[in-house]
Amino acid sequence: MVKAEKKKINLRVNGEVHTLLVAPHLTLLEVLREELHLTGAKESCGRGACGTCTVLLDGEPVRSCLLLAAEAEGRQVTTIEGLGRQGALHPIQEAFVAHHAVQCGFCTPGMVLTAKALLDKTPDPTDEEIRLALSGNICRCTGYAKIVEAVKAASDKGK
Amino acid sequence: MEELSIIGKSAGRVDTAAKATGEALYTADLSLPRMLVGKVLRSPFAHARIRAIDTSRAERLPGVKAVVTSADSTGEKWGVFRYTQDQAFLPPDKVRFIGEEVAAVAAIDEDTALEALTLIKVDYEELPALFTMEEAMRPGAVLIHDSNPGNINVHVKIDVGSVEKGFSVSYHVREDTFTAPEESYFQAEPYAVAASFDSTGNLEIWMPNAGPHLKAKPLSNCLRMPLNKVRVRKITIGGAFGGRSEISPADVICALLSRKAGLPVRIVYTREENTVATRLAHSMTATIKTGVDREGRVLARDITCHMDGGAYSSTGPIATSVPFLCMEQAYRMENVRYNGYRVFTNKPIRGMFRTHGRAFACGVDLQLDMIGLELGIDPVTMRLRNARQAGDYTPTRSLVPSCAMTETIERAASAARWKEKWGKLPPFHGIGIGCNSVQTGFPMGIRGGSSAFIKFNEDGGATVISGVVDNGQGNENMLVQIAAEELGILPEDIQLINADTEVTPSDPGSYSMCETFVGGNAVRLAAIDAKKKIFKFAARALEANPDDLTARGRKIFVKGEPERSIPFARAIRMALAKGEPVSGEGSYWPKVDSRREWVENPSGQLSETFSFGTTIAEVKIDPETGLVDVLETWASQDVGFALNPKVIEGQFEGGLTMGGQGGMLTEYHLWDGGRLLNPDQAEYRLPLAPDMPKINSIIVESHDPAGPYGAKEAGMSIAMSAAQAYVSAVCNAIGVPIKEYPLTPDKIIAAIEKKSKKA
Repeated sequence: MVKAEKKKINLRVNGEVHTLLVAPHLTLLEVLREELHLTGAKESCGRGACGTCTVLLDGEPVRSCLLLAAEAEGRQVTTIEGLGRQGALHPIQEAFVAHHAVQCGFCTPGMVLTAKALLDKTPDPTDEEIRLALSGNICRCTGYAKIVEAVKAASDKGK
Repeated sequence: MEELSIIGKSAGRVDTAAKATGEALYTADLSLPRMLVGKVLRSPFAHARIRAIDTSRAERLPGVKAVVTSADSTGEKWGVFRYTQDQAFLPPDKVRFIGEEVAAVAAIDEDTALEALTLIKVDYEELPALFTMEEAMRPGAVLIHDSNPGNINVHVKIDVGSVEKGFSVSYHVREDTFTAPEESYFQAEPYAVAASFDSTGNLEIWMPNAGPHLKAKPLSNCLRMPLNKVRVRKITIGGAFGGRSEISPADVICALLSRKAGLPVRIVYTREENTVATRLAHSMTATIKTGVDREGRVLARDITCHMDGGAYSSTGPIATSVPFLCMEQAYRMENVRYNGYRVFTNKPIRGMFRTHGRAFACGVDLQLDMIGLELGIDPVTMRLRNARQAGDYTPTRSLVPSCAMTETIERAASAARWKEKWGKLPPFHGIGIGCNSVQTGFPMGIRGGSSAFIKFNEDGGATVISGVVDNGQGNENMLVQIAAEELGILPEDIQLINADTEVTPSDPGSYSMCETFVGGNAVRLAAIDAKKKIFKFAARALEANPDDLTARGRKIFVKGEPERSIPFARAIRMALAKGEPVSGEGSYWPKVDSRREWVENPSGQLSETFSFGTTIAEVKIDPETGLVDVLETWASQDVGFALNPKVIEGQFEGGLTMGGQGGMLTEYHLWDGGRLLNPDQAEYRLPLAPDMPKINSIIVESHDPAGPYGAKEAGMSIAMSAAQAYVSAVCNAIGVPIKEYPLTPDKIIAAIEKKSKKA
C-alpha cells in the first residue's frame, strides 16, 4: 500500500494554534485524539450517526468523525477540554453534574458542546428546542430527561 | 433507624464532573509508550472448516510486530459453566458465525495493521449454515457443535405443582405465541482492550467490564497464568446493560499480541465489531398457555420458549432461565411448567440483556390483558389479583422477604388516572400496564460475595477499597455515600479505590443486579467495623461508653449530647499515637441456596431479595401511518430504599427509554442469512431526545430487611415493565393484540386493517 504524503496543517484548537504534519485522509477526530491527545471527543459510530464526536467549529456543532482535519484549517475548533477554566466547570458542565445528566459519560462531551452551541444562539430555549437541538446526539443511559433539565438549568431563565 | 444525613439524598455523583470535562479516560483513550494497534481478522463465512492459515506475508510487512492465530493460544475454551465451555478464542478447527475471530495482528499504526490483515491467507472449507432455529432443530441438520444433538444448547425444564390439574379446574384458558427478533445493547462506548506485559510476566489489562474479577479468572485460565499476575485495571466504562458480563475474545487476543510483540497493544472495536462480535440479545418465540379462575387469578401456566443463542453458549443456562424467573417472581401461581430451549445457530453470540426477552415478558403481560378482556376485568385489577406478596415463596422456592408490588401498581395507576381513562379513551388512544420483578444477585458460589476494606488517613479522611465496578449506573457514588454515612464523615473525605483486581477483594460484578445489595453491604459492614474500632479511642477521650457514641459531620459524639464530641481526625491520631492504627473490613455473602443450579436443580433461594415494579404508558396512534405517539409514562418500582433518588430516577428513565421506547417501537436487527445488515446507529434506530415522552418516576420503598438501609435492585427493572406497558397501551389503542415485536408501523397498520376487515 502506498502511503499518502503527510501535509502540514495549522489547527486552532481551544485558542491555541498547532502546526501539525498529518496524513491528508485523517479526520479531525483522529487528529484531536491521536496527535493532540484531546481524548474528550469520542468515537461511537464513526459515521456521523450518534453525535458522540461533536466539537464546535466556529461555534457550530460538527461531527469530527466526518470532517477531515485539513477542512478545519483557519477555523476555531472548540473541544470539551476548552470549556471551563482550570479547576472550574463551565456552567453547562456544572448543570449536567448537578442534575444527574451524566451516567456512563461517553456521550457527555458531545452533549455538552451541542448544548453550548444552542445556548450561545438561543439563551432561553423551550424544552422542544432543547430536544430538537440534541436530536443528533444519542444517549443510551439517561432517557434524556435529566439532560434536558440540565440544559434548561444552564439557560438564562434557569440561572 | 437513626436519621440519615447522606444516604437518601440526591447529591451529585462523585464520578460525573470528570466525565463532563472529558478528563475521565475510557479504554480507547489510554496510551502507553510504544503502544501498538491491534486488529482482528474475522470469518467471512457463517460456518466453515479452517484448513490452514498462512500468516507469513503479514509477518513480513514492515511495521507488523506480532500476528496470532489459534496456534498461539492455549486452546482453553470459554463458557460460564464447566458444561458450557465451547468457545475457543481463535478457534483451531472451524468458525461458526460471520465475524468470528480467526487471527489478529499488532502493528505500529492502524493502516499497517489493516493492510496486514489482508495479507493473511485462510483456507476455508465452507459448511452448510443454519440461520434460524427451525433450520437448526430440523432432523438431520448439520451440527454446529458435535456435542449438542439437535443443536440444542440448553434445555431448562421446570415443573411445579400440576399444570394439567390447574388447567382442568380453570374457568378460562388461552394459549398464544409471541415472537421477537434480536435487539442490541448499543453501549455508547465500543468495546476496547489495552494490554501490557512487564518483564516478569505480569499482565496489566484494561477493558469495559461488568466485573473485573469475572474477567481476571477466565483470563488466567485462558492464558494459563496465575491469577495474581492478571491485573484487570480500573477504567471508566461507557455502558454495559448486560452485554459486558463475560470475558471477550478481544481480551485474550490483545494479551496474546502484547506477549508476542513484547509491547503494549490496544484493540478498539468499530461499532460493527461491537455489535457483531460482543453480544446481541436473543431472538425468541414464546408459547404461553394460561388458565385462570372466574376472577382472573392464574391457576396454571405452561410456557415453551425457544431462544436463538447464536454460535456459542455464553451465559446460556442463565439467559434461558431469567425470563421465566422474572415472571414467576412477579406473579403468584401454584402450577407452572417451563421448557426453555436455547438453540445454536450460525449467527453472532447472544447474551444477557436488560429486558431478558421482550417476546416472553410482553407475552405474559399482554395475555393477562387479553384474558381480562374476555372476563370483563381491567388490566390493573388483573395485576392486583395476581401480584406477588411479601412472605410468599416463588414456585421454584425462593422466599420473597420484601415486596411492594401491589403498592407499585396502585400508585402508578393512581398517578396515571387509570380509572378515568380505561375504556373511556377515544379511538386509537390507549393506555396499558406492565409489571416486573428482578433478582438482586444469583448464586455464584465462591464468587457470590463481596468484601471491602477501609483505611483511615491521619487527617480524618478514609480510603475505601472495593471490587465493585461502575458501568455508568452510579455504583461508585453509592459506595461513597454508604461509607460516608456510616463513618460520619463527608463524601469528599473519601477516596475510593475500586474495580482493580490487583488491589481489591473479589466481587460478583454488576451484571446480576447485586452491586448495591452485595457490594454496598460489604462497604457498610467495613465502615461499621472501622467505626467500632475508632469509637474505642474516642470513648476514652469522651469518658463515655463506646456503645453510646455516634458520628456525623466529621465528629464523634455521645448520642443525644452533640456537645460532648471530638473531631474524627483526632480519634484517628489518638489510635496512631498508641501504635494501633485502625482499619475496617467487611464482607457480604448473600443468603442464597448454593445447591440451586440453572439446569440440574432450578429450586431453592435464587437471590436473597427481589425488586418489583409497574409501568404505565398512554399512547395515541395515527391509523394512517401506524406511528405511535407516546403521550406520557409512569414508572414505579419497589427499590427497597432509595439511597440516591435522582440516581434511581435516572435508571427508571433510561430503562423506559431502552425497554419501552426503543425496545418496543423501533429496535430490531435485520439479516441476510448470517450477515447482520444494521450493525450501527445509522440503521438501528435508537430513541432520540425528541422521541421521548414525559416520564413520571414513582419510587416505592418496602425497606428490605437485609439490603443496605433497606435498598435492593433498581437499575434493570423498569426496562422490562416499560416494554410490557408499551405493548399493552398500543394494543389497547388499536383494539387488537399484536404478538410480534417490536411494534413497527407496518405491523400496527396490518393489525388495524385486519381488524376492520373482520368488522
